[in-house]
Amino acid sequence: MIGRSGGARDRILRRVGAATAARERRPHPGALAGDGPDDVVAAFADRFRRSGGEVVAAGMGWRGGELLRWLRDQVPEVTAVATAPDLPGELRPDLPEVAAREAGAGVSVGWGGVAETGSLILPSTGGRAVQLLPPLHIVWISADRIFARLEHALLSLAADLPAAAGLHSGPSKSADIGRTVVTGVHGPGRCVAFVRGALRSPAATE
Amino acid sequence: MRIEIGDYGARARQVIREDPQVREAVTGATLAFDAKRRRSYDEIDSDAWRRWAEAVKSHALTHLDRYLAEAEARLIENGAVVHWAADAGEARQIVMELAAENGVRRVVKGKSMVTEEIDLNPALEGAGIEIFETDLGEYILQLLDEPPSHILGPAIHRTLEQVRELFAERLETPPDGNPDTLARAARKVLRDAFLSAEMGITGGNFLVAETGTVALIENEGNIRLTTSLPRIHVAIVGIEKLLPRMSDLAGFLQLTSRAATGQPIGCFVSLIQGPAARPGDDGPKEVHVVLVDNGRTDVLAHEHAWEALRCVRCGACLNVCPVYRQTGGHAYGWVYSGPIGSVLDPGLLGLREAMPLPFASSLCGACFDACPVRIPIPELLLEWRREAQEEGLTPWRERAALTTLAQMATRPGLYRLAGRIGSRLGGSALGRALPMLGDWARERALPKPSERSFRELWREGIE
Amino acid sequence: MKVTLFVTCLADHYFAQAAADSVRLLRRLGCEVHFPEAQSCCGQPAWNAGRNREARRMAEHTARVLADAEAVVVPSGSCAAMLKKSYPKLAVAGDGSLAELAAHTWELGEFIVHRLGVTELGNGLAGRRVAIHQGCHALRELRLETEPELLLRGAGAEIVPWEAQDECCGFGGLFAVKMGAVSAAMADRKLDTLPAVDWVVSGDGGCILQLDGRARMRRARIPFVHLATALWEGVSSLAASPEREN
Ligand code: SF4
Repeated sequence: MIGRSGGARDRILRRVGAATAARERRPHPGALAGDGPDDVVAAFADRFRRSGGEVVAAGMGWRGGELLRWLRDQVPEVTAVATAPDLPGELRPDLPEVAAREAGAGVSVGWGGVAETGSLILPSTGGRAVQLLPPLHIVWISADRIFARLEHALLSLAADLPAAAGLHSGPSKSADIGRTVVTGVHGPGRCVAFVRGALRSPAATE
Repeated sequence: MRIEIGDYGARARQVIREDPQVREAVTGATLAFDAKRRRSYDEIDSDAWRRWAEAVKSHALTHLDRYLAEAEARLIENGAVVHWAADAGEARQIVMELAAENGVRRVVKGKSMVTEEIDLNPALEGAGIEIFETDLGEYILQLLDEPPSHILGPAIHRTLEQVRELFAERLETPPDGNPDTLARAARKVLRDAFLSAEMGITGGNFLVAETGTVALIENEGNIRLTTSLPRIHVAIVGIEKLLPRMSDLAGFLQLTSRAATGQPIGCFVSLIQGPAARPGDDGPKEVHVVLVDNGRTDVLAHEHAWEALRCVRCGACLNVCPVYRQTGGHAYGWVYSGPIGSVLDPGLLGLREAMPLPFASSLCGACFDACPVRIPIPELLLEWRREAQEEGLTPWRERAALTTLAQMATRPGLYRLAGRIGSRLGGSALGRALPMLGDWARERALPKPSERSFRELWREGIE
Repeated sequence: MKVTLFVTCLADHYFAQAAADSVRLLRRLGCEVHFPEAQSCCGQPAWNAGRNREARRMAEHTARVLADAEAVVVPSGSCAAMLKKSYPKLAVAGDGSLAELAAHTWELGEFIVHRLGVTELGNGLAGRRVAIHQGCHALRELRLETEPELLLRGAGAEIVPWEAQDECCGFGGLFAVKMGAVSAAMADRKLDTLPAVDWVVSGDGGCILQLDGRARMRRARIPFVHLATALWEGVSSLAASPEREN
């Protein structure tokens, strides 16, 4: 499909070109200096929790069974889940599968995490409805996929960009009514990161 | 949005006098935002970050033709469709045609200032299309039929009681509903809209040239939904939103969030490259990016005002502004209000149209210290004032007064004489008759001149 | 040390005692004070209104009058900022006199702290509870954040925190008359948050004019005191009230 421009494209680019030609060009300052945290798993957990997210420190050996136990314990009312198409079978909890809009919980796998911002990176190939519609969103992520800085994570993601990616850094919130914070406005009201391999890092355990 | 800037003074007075709740709500909200921003700046080397961000944006703006072409090429490679609109009319036309061709009857929208700027909603409604503003604050305003009064918290001028009343009437919530109950009621309506709309419309915080990424920051998740569920996503993006590289985006996502709400990053960030193509992706089948000029190339060509195009619409300058806090955004009479509105509107609309906004500032300078991209707002205000003077857009009486001042001040004898007479006049009836003093005295008691001027004291000898 | 006082037009006519107290204070601190009588207005009203031609005339006049000064001291943050920050921008090409003047101009508090190196001023203000109004130009153009507090503390005063201490009073010269209602609401925010204190001190007469004018219209009597008067009061340890006149 060809975009509409009716000559506007060339007109705009010409005007932009004339404006920039008349001005001294400014250099790019290069990368923003900074190191990011040392213990990335602990820093991620801390940031994510401070934004209202929850972190479960999981062992490398954790599978769907452990997740099912957690669900039974924490949210017994959840009887059916929606899972991401790219979720490995072994990480599925053994519960009936339903459409995302009806599920009590969505389960996906994170492409990676970011320590400095406390973010989970979720590619669109994981199914966006699962990431957004259920009131509870559970994200498996492995500890060695957590980047210290957002810049490193995005550069790595850029090597093979999906059509879209979401950065989730805690549950959905709004303070638009009377300046009171409410959660779960549109997206998930609870967001839980199951960090596999985090059990080795004592600071990340609850 | 209709342009009603000319009445700024009268509207400001009216809000302050007749709707004191607005001043209270806006002051409370902006003080809270600003306190969070300050704390968040303190967590990083904010000075270094701001200088870096200023340099990146200035670089992008002085190479804008190159980056626009690059972004366009990447987007097309990614399967997106790129449109160009020289003005508001063209932008509306593009969206209307897309809607018509695809039989769109329902649209969900994410908060976007540029869609306010191009008056998109009335046009779509005129074509019989149902529109849902999905940001909670915008949804409240849509029900009230009011424009946003703040870039970030569009409904900060409305109190809980007012929203309660509104929702009780329109959504049948209990008259004493708490914010949670009210939000749930809105969520229900909007969830249905998300699931049934054929088109999602958003703005864009940034457009990355290197990858063709449209980036959007938010907290509610409504933009994620708007860009994910409907079959078509249209992003309407001002041409100044370009960032060269993905690594730049990483800094801007964080700094913008910190400046806006004090968060290290917004709860949700959407990075959109194009339509869903790979297995497993249930996203939109079409992604359209509309690049809008609408006055921006005029601003870019302006000797000084081009710096205002660095703006990332974080709202930090509004939150810290003591002028904005007294009235909220509506008094300013157009989409962009507060300090950034006062320097951007004259560039986008023309100075004559934007008078007297450059004068709606005490030049206290707080906005510059808050701005993440270091836009020299006070200096730009002065530039616009100079142009207004040159073009004769200010009241004659002010110009005359300042010319007289300069004449007297440069003639010591005359100055001393005028000073003696002038200060004696201060408290008298005649003084009140002097126009400037009259304006002063409407709001304040007249100043009491010293019994004897310093000059007199000096001559007598100061012990 | 030889200093030249640039008194400012406002202080000349409305804060004459504060200007005189500046002289007394500077003398007590060992300065020889000069006052060229041909000085007038710094030109800020014209500068802020965007009338550069008039502002330049006044700037050039001021530079001529102060040409021989070694150090110019201004008992007003706003006018000091005009001389220090705006004058250089007004200079026509080739005229270095405005930049030169800017380079040796000091706001009163700045001069005492940074040029004279004095912050100990005795204990004359002991027991005095003081709130500080930070003038915008001193604070954000000259970056004088701590100087008034240092000096007042140095004179023994107790500084009472004020939530709105760094916020603009709403004066802004012409702004106060052009946008009267907004300007007044800004002053109200300051007055409404003011803690109970013995003095409200500011280094800027314009701000005091605005806040005091608004307070009196609201039928409140608030003891506004110019920084120079407050400090002189401490140094001279006079028992008399400093509110001789405003
Ligand atoms: S001018 Fe600066 S502070 Fe104001 S909205 Fe734009 S980026 Fe934010």
